[in-house]
Amino acid sequence: MARHKKIEPPAEEEITSNISSMIDCCFLLLIYFLAATSLVSEKKLDISIPPPAQGSSSKKPKVDPGNIYVTKAGVVTWNEGLTVGEAYNPELKPGTPEYLQQRRMESLVESLKMLKEQADAVDTTPVVMLHGAAGAPHQRIVDVMAALSEADIHSVGLSTTADE
Amino acid sequence: MAKKSARSEEEVKAESDPSPMIDCCFLLLMFFIVNAAQITVSKDPSVNMPNAVSASEMKDANGCIVVNVFADPDVMGSKNPAALEKFNKTYAPGTIWGVADSNQDSIGYNSGQLQELTDYIKQQRESMESKGIKPEMIRLYLRGDADAPWDRSSGAIRAAAAAGVSNIVFGTLPAEN
Repeated sequence: MARHKKIEPPAEEEITSNISSMIDCCFLLLIYFLAATSLVSEKKLDISIPPPAQGSSSKKPKVDPGNIYVTKAGVVTWNEGLTVGEAYNPELKPGTPEYLQQRRMESLVESLKMLKEQADAVDTTPVVMLHGAAGAPHQRIVDVMAALSEADIHSVGLSTTADE
Repeated sequence: MAKKSARSEEEVKAESDPSPMIDCCFLLLMFFIVNAAQITVSKDPSVNMPNAVSASEMKDANGCIVVNVFADPDVMGSKNPAALEKFNKTYAPGTIWGVADSNQDSIGYNSGQLQELTDYIKQQRESMESKGIKPEMIRLYLRGDADAPWDRSSGAIRAAAAAGVSNIVFGTLPAEN
């Protein structure tokens, strides 16, 4: 009798992969990166400090260096004559037209672009010296750096002067 | 009739297909991973970053030695009391420069500790060079507070120059936002 007994095939089982744990991990990673990412990322302004002059220091540069002065109040002057930036107003709110107006120093950018053109014409690197008063606000120095960056000048000598 | 009633009794399986949701989820994940790769410099919340109209994207923060330059506590407190509270909890009074050590613990230096700051930058430079970072890629990343006096920033730049780092990066935020 046993010989005639039919062996029944095992019941069909649906083979499914359980992806819920993977989705959980995925969501956790998503939340982590969402929290860690700041969409307003910091920007940068690059400068390099020129190396000290070697050999004879009496050698005259091909193009006269440009000088930028920043006073304690934040007034910016170009070559001791032209005022290119008004006094710094820390009360202005970022994003307002007045704030943007204060950040932009168009006449300084123009002067720097002219210096760059002069230097390029004689195949040399423009030299700019930034003289900041000890108490000058950092924001004003960054404004000058932004103007230098706009004029494509990245080699800047820095000095600190006494507050007037 | 009998047939009709049998049909209506057929079970209808309601299944939700999660695959489009998973696709979206993966896309978002990839987006945030790519963006997060840019954030590699530690940010001190006590610094009120300056804004610049013309600045470039920070594509690679490898080789950046971060130095935070703080404003005077009264100025900091008048603009952001929470930042001052955090500053007071983290640093000793009189701190003007802040850095993070290898464990991301904050270290503060006062105006009389320029040499200590120079030593820190030198140590970081040597450590980066030993990891194979090219010397020209090693930069001082200056996170100066908008209201910090210039002599503090220039002090950090002098320390970097003395430590053999002549490339300076001024950290800013976009002015038009």
